[in-house]
Amino acid sequence: MYALVALGYNITYATSRTVNFSQGQSVMVGAVIAYALHVGAGWPLVPAVLVTLAALAALGVLVERVAVRPFLAASSIAWLLATIALGIIAENVTMLLFGKDARAFPSGLARKPWTILGAGVYPHELLVPAVGIALMVLVELAFRRTLAGRALRAVAFGHDAARLMGIDVTRTISVAYALSSVLAGVAGILLAPLLNVSATMGTTIGLKAFAVAIIGGIESARGIVVAGILYGIVESVVAGYLGTGVREIVGFGLVILVLLARPWGLFGVPAPRRV
Amino acid sequence: MRRMNVLGLALLSLGVLVTQATVGWTQAKPPITVALVAAMSGGSALSGEAIKRGLTVAIDEINARGGLLGGRKVELVIRDEEGNPSKGVTAARDVIERERAVAVFGGLHSPVGLAMLPVFHELRVPYVGTWAAATAITRNGRTPNFMFRVSANDDIVDHFLAKHVTEKLGKRKPGVILENTPWGASNQEGLTKWFAKLGAQPVGFEKFNWNDSDMSAQLLRLKNGGADAIVMVANAPEGAQVVKSRAKIGWDVPTVSHWGISGGRFAELTGELSESVVFVQTYSFFGRQSAVGERVIAALKAKYGVKGPEDILAPVGTANAYDAMHLVALAIERAGAADGAKVRDALENLGEHRGLIKTYRRPFTLEEHDALTENDYILVTWQGGKIVPVAMK
Repeated sequence: MYALVALGYNITYATSRTVNFSQGQSVMVGAVIAYALHVGAGWPLVPAVLVTLAALAALGVLVERVAVRPFLAASSIAWLLATIALGIIAENVTMLLFGKDARAFPSGLARKPWTILGAGVYPHELLVPAVGIALMVLVELAFRRTLAGRALRAVAFGHDAARLMGIDVTRTISVAYALSSVLAGVAGILLAPLLNVSATMGTTIGLKAFAVAIIGGIESARGIVVAGILYGIVESVVAGYLGTGVREIVGFGLVILVLLARPWGLFGVPAPRRV
Repeated sequence: MRRMNVLGLALLSLGVLVTQATVGWTQAKPPITVALVAAMSGGSALSGEAIKRGLTVAIDEINARGGLLGGRKVELVIRDEEGNPSKGVTAARDVIERERAVAVFGGLHSPVGLAMLPVFHELRVPYVGTWAAATAITRNGRTPNFMFRVSANDDIVDHFLAKHVTEKLGKRKPGVILENTPWGASNQEGLTKWFAKLGAQPVGFEKFNWNDSDMSAQLLRLKNGGADAIVMVANAPEGAQVVKSRAKIGWDVPTVSHWGISGGRFAELTGELSESVVFVQTYSFFGRQSAVGERVIAALKAKYGVKGPEDILAPVGTANAYDAMHLVALAIERAGAADGAKVRDALENLGEHRGLIKTYRRPFTLEEHDALTENDYILVTWQGGKIVPVAMK
């Protein structure tokens, strides 16, 4: 699940060298909209999910338009603060509209646990990695096979070259943001039944996903997937043997260690030095 | 431009003068302000709403009788501390220094109550807890002590829970799971002490952080350690995750809980699993009610559209707050002045009061700042999302 959110960082970074620091809040917005439509308004699950994802694509475009594009044009790194600010605004708007309570998101797959090898697992918990990996394969395929995907990769390779080939760079970046937001939204909907829905549910997820992106190498999609799974395993092993109190210490300590040893991430490639 | 400003300023100050004059004219006697600093939002928001209702019902009664100190109305100001100790400290200062509150009621979160403690002593205004149970809030070693409570006290609750586990359930190896906060620590101390005295050997004290989502690792350690019952100290969101994790690892043991879980949407978050948990309350609106109980239920029905006792969410907040407000009112009358320090002195010397939870002989003394004792506690559980006494299930 971290990998899914982290992949969103990868897509926008690759295309525009910027990152949407409100990814965590996009996770939350996904969960909250899905909750409002499915539980609040009583919609069936499928249309609720589709509308939620459409809303998130729109949110991604909005973030890019408001918080990234104006600053990118000026070669400023103010997009960093602007996306964080948008995230905080999203969180507080949600508190106003949705309230600050945690709410339960029912899932037929999270009611009765299965026992596998002596450990209890909710079927829903298996759904999370399954959907996650399937989506990543899909994204990877789309990148390689479709025109829009190729455009994204071309933009990732070099803005000027892409522009010379007749690719609308600005639009492509916009698409990248929409896509990364949708990925976060999927993560939000998947996590909702496990974590409960609340306005603040996304903050830590966003931060940890960024850690995963950095560990895996922000430019390497596969590295991110592997790092995401590794990070999840490390977390549960630490929580299981040492206690939850030290989980965050070990997790983020690991991030610093990886950065010291391999500043470009586990699977990244060191940037060639231009002399 | 400058001229306009001067003119505007003049008009404005005239306006202020006029308003002040009218206020002075219509309200000869200034109101007496009391404050509530509690969690009005977040996972325990229901607790804040319940406390507000209890205070409001009591204040309406007092004002209907003509107020206090010869006709001064009581007014309630409310601040949300969001479960955050530093916000609580700011809010406590704000209500005392700016709003001139003569007494401050506290909410569900013990860490907030503990953090505000020095403020009340510095500004010399009494705190009356209506929920947070940490032992050290009232037993803090200060003289004069400005902290009072009409609610449970961890030390006494821990004895109550330990007794239930060892004597009623006959379990000797309880596993304890508690939150990693000062409130959790307060209960670890109490439970360790009382289990030892009652001859039981806890197999472990496991902890979790606020907003944690999966407690199966901690529960597995307790299970593998041979625990035959779970004692839980948690608020609603985390308590829900504990119970869900317990179901996930397929562990069916008696689960006994402190009352934090009744301050939020525990039953909604856990569904039918909620009915497997028994916990402590100070009052139940079910069953035969005293005259006071009937009156409070009637007021809640009229004012908040409550249909019956099953609709009174987080009932201890309402019951504790209702009694606490009346005790504070008695103290203000006795002090003869809307002055924090004098109200504090008066609280220690109140006479008999026929309250909702019980008839208080002498609610507080120099040594005892908890108005409720173990005899006032009852054991309850959830049934169809409502809190009902265990005896009635």
